[in-house]
Amino acid sequence: MTITDRSFQRLVRAAMTVGFALLLIAGLTMVHAVGDTARWTASVVHTYEVEQTIGRFSILAEQLETARRGFIINRNDASLQTYRRTMHDIPPTLDRIGALTIDNPSQQRRLVAVRREAEIHRASAHETIARMEDASPAMQAMADFGVDRSFVAMTDLRRLTQQMVDEEERLLVLRRAAQDRAGLSLYLILGVTGLLMIVVMGAALWVVRRYTTGLNASQDDLRMLNTGLEDAVAARTAELSRANDEIQRFAYIVSHDLRSPLVNVMGFTAELEATIAPLTTLIDRVDAEAPALMTAEAREAKADLPEAVGFIRSSTAKMDRLINAILRLSREGRRTLQPVAIDLAALTASIRDSFAHQLGATGAEIDVDGPFVPLVSDRLALEQILSNLIENAVKYLDPDRPGRIAVTARREGPRVVIDVIDNGRGIAPADHERIFDLFRRAGSQDQAGEGLGLAHVRALSYRLGGLITCVSRLGEGATFRLSLPPNLVDHAKEPSR
Amino acid sequence: MSENSVNIIMIEDDEGHARLIEKNIRRAGIANHIRHFVDGTTALDFLFNHADGPARNGPALILLDLNLPDMSGIDILGKIKADAKLKRTPVVVLTTTDDKLEIQRCYDIGANVYITKPVNYESFGKAIQQLGLFLSVMQVPEVGDDA
Repeated sequence: MTITDRSFQRLVRAAMTVGFALLLIAGLTMVHAVGDTARWTASVVHTYEVEQTIGRFSILAEQLETARRGFIINRNDASLQTYRRTMHDIPPTLDRIGALTIDNPSQQRRLVAVRREAEIHRASAHETIARMEDASPAMQAMADFGVDRSFVAMTDLRRLTQQMVDEEERLLVLRRAAQDRAGLSLYLILGVTGLLMIVVMGAALWVVRRYTTGLNASQDDLRMLNTGLEDAVAARTAELSRANDEIQRFAYIVSHDLRSPLVNVMGFTAELEATIAPLTTLIDRVDAEAPALMTAEAREAKADLPEAVGFIRSSTAKMDRLINAILRLSREGRRTLQPVAIDLAALTASIRDSFAHQLGATGAEIDVDGPFVPLVSDRLALEQILSNLIENAVKYLDPDRPGRIAVTARREGPRVVIDVIDNGRGIAPADHERIFDLFRRAGSQDQAGEGLGLAHVRALSYRLGGLITCVSRLGEGATFRLSLPPNLVDHAKEPSR
Repeated sequence: MSENSVNIIMIEDDEGHARLIEKNIRRAGIANHIRHFVDGTTALDFLFNHADGPARNGPALILLDLNLPDMSGIDILGKIKADAKLKRTPVVVLTTTDDKLEIQRCYDIGANVYITKPVNYESFGKAIQQLGLFLSVMQVPEVGDDA
């Protein structure tokens, strides 16, 4: 991941956080605005109720006046009933107005006046009715007496209630305006919130899309890289296998062509050796019978000849061993492989058992640790590889510490990896490549060997489509890692790339 | 007819080997005439066309090395065994190769004996002497055929 990617990520995170914070604020504001609108609506409704109650009071006052006058004229029961009802209803209505306008001092002031006038009005009505019900005509005649008072009170009442209604109308206008404003701002907030939501959602979607695309792309890249890696491994193995084949052919030809002159060297050395006896006899005879003919060189030659022949013989014998080793190697390289399912645990255990007597002497141990990986390969080749590696591990243990050798196996990607790990004397890093070369050995030469084992192991590994590497430091033990294709049949089928 | 009637034709590019083979043959007490060829072309020419060659005149034994400079001994063996007149001529393959497949191939084509040249000279001498025994056995019916 690049630096720009990382700073971009930080930016996206910040932007998203801000977006969601704004959305939260918008939500809270909306709740507040809705509450506001509801409050203003409630207050408008309240104003209407106040107006309505004032209106009812006005009607009651007018009805009382009408009932009073009707009773004076007709003395009928209907008027009397109306009188009684209105007389009874007026105080609670006024109380109701008082309760409703308790928060408005100016209305309360007016209400005090209204109450006063209403009392006058009621008292005058009461007086009129009482007089009219009196038996004496004088009293009845005086029924109109209260009219004047009542008239004034009525006029005041009308004026006062109108004032109160006006006040409520004024409030209504204000409250309606506020209600409209609150509604408008609610719409505005709603709109802004909606817009914000669209923006944040859009941004979130874009980010998700971008990441998904990025993720897909990197997955594709990874897949390609993996395939590329596998291809590279396959190509490298094929290359090594080809090179190995070439070396095998080369070794075969060389060992044959070297053998031919060697036959001569050995043969004529033998012929030469055969001449030593008659020549020695001759020199001895000359020495005895005619010492005058004898020279110092001839005597020297008599001593040098067997020595020279001896050196030639021992050298050719060694050369023959080496050539045979190469030949064996090349022959192994041309053996037809037979892929079979291999039980690694059993194979390793049987190799371990074959070293039992050597291990018993040194007190070393071999752990076979979970090599239960399914593997199809050539049994003989694998056995030779492992037994060479284990033999080396046993051979080069450090005498100063108890020997521990472990064999492990596991699946690693498309390969099976087998490790042979020891805690022996180790190999200097400079020698890691060299030890796999033919006739080359590393470290102190205190063990018998021709330098063939690891060359053989490497040749066999290549043949099995595998690789062999060494990880070690001098004095710290060594790990030989064999990586093989899990199925030699599939591996052989694959076209060499 | 004398014992010498069987010619030994040795096709061997290595002079040293030829000399050693000859020495050991003689040591084995075999006095037959030995004709030595160092390459395949002249050897084939002799075998098929020469007046003294086995194709025109008399029995012979061929000692054949497989590694020749101009052609493979296997090819020469194939030509001999494919020829109507030459195919009964015994061929002893005497070479450095001890590869099983190679030996099988030679016998499949019709080699009569296959001897590996051992680097160990004592075994080499023994092998040649055994060849001498073989020669002394095989020349009898050849003589009988001619008579």
